[in-house]
Amino acid sequence: MAALNLSSPTHTPSSLRVLSNFSHSRNAPALSFYSLPNPVVHFRSTSLNHRSPAKHRRFGLVVSALKKLSETESVTVSSDSDGKFPSDAGVYAIYDSSGDLQFVGITRNLASSVIAHKNSLPELCCSVKVAVVEDPDKTALTEAWKTWLQEHISATGKVPPGNESGNSTWVKRAPRKKSDLRLTPGRHVQLTVPLDDLIDRLVKENKVVAFIKGSRSAPMCGFSQRVVSILETQGVDYESVDVLDEEYNNGLRETLKRYSNWPTFPQIFVNGELVGGCDILTSMYEKGELADLFK
Amino acid sequence: MASRMAAISRASRIKTKLETALQAAVLEVEDVSHQHAGHAAVREMEGGAQETHFNVRIVSAKFHGQNLVKRHRMVYELLSDELNSGLHALSITAKTPSEAAVDTQP
Repeated sequence: MAALNLSSPTHTPSSLRVLSNFSHSRNAPALSFYSLPNPVVHFRSTSLNHRSPAKHRRFGLVVSALKKLSETESVTVSSDSDGKFPSDAGVYAIYDSSGDLQFVGITRNLASSVIAHKNSLPELCCSVKVAVVEDPDKTALTEAWKTWLQEHISATGKVPPGNESGNSTWVKRAPRKKSDLRLTPGRHVQLTVPLDDLIDRLVKENKVVAFIKGSRSAPMCGFSQRVVSILETQGVDYESVDVLDEEYNNGLRETLKRYSNWPTFPQIFVNGELVGGCDILTSMYEKGELADLFK
Repeated sequence: MASRMAAISRASRIKTKLETALQAAVLEVEDVSHQHAGHAAVREMEGGAQETHFNVRIVSAKFHGQNLVKRHRMVYELLSDELNSGLHALSITAKTPSEAAVDTQP
């Protein structure tokens, strides 16, 4: 079990501030680097991330550890790049099929951003270079982004098209995070249908359902958090149900345990079948079996 | 019953139950409850976080031909008394001897 951190979902104001500071100080056109919504959760999990370098704290020397863009290995992106990229925060550069740099961005989760770009722009996103940023606070990430962008500009005299001011090719409006599903209208409303039937209908009518502790935007337990993070990395459209919600899902925990014959949470259902809990989902993720499962 | 159960650690009860039923070639039970001491559900429990979270690694020929869900269910069913008496979460690795052999190859 890895130590899990919650990162604040409210990045926007500070990222805007950093962006405008940078524009002023550089006297340059505003360049965009936040293309995708920051995943709300990210975790350092040694089991999910074989490529992550050893974490050394280098106070004050964070960016000097960044590899040069030209010296970073380019990796081909395919639609099922499960486990190929680290889930850490860092900087990434996207190249098209002719090897031209299209966009440099930063993210809280390299794997999920790269896969999201590949899914939305498959023709333009052929290979990427990624670098994990140690102690990834806003400043360190922005510095890394500047370093790579400046290296490219001084080598070619050009800004990558996706980073030009006003270019929104790689900028996707944050899709509104889905809300958790509620099984009942509230605990004081008498149910006309047994809870078992509501569960049964829910898991059969939705392709992927995760029963988690806490909400999808703020899971309350490390295992639930890992499940949410894997599903988000996978880019799968899923429904979530908070089993701790005593108001709208009253009695769900005990009923679900019986329904699924599974005594712990989280629980993940696909096409009405129980896939398992966090261990099984993690194991399938590491073996690259999830793309098939979610087809 | 309760006093007798308290006398032996949950880890050793888990071990005995799984060993007997699964004839495990490898059986490791690790109490990781301390990692979950701040856990909301655990804090509410009387006496705090004790013997609530375990990592279990089992290699058993009895898993042969069973998918992961069935293997985990086998373990959960063997430990249902524990789950009903405060065991909160298990992290399970369940492999057959041949799968375990593949893992240890370079």
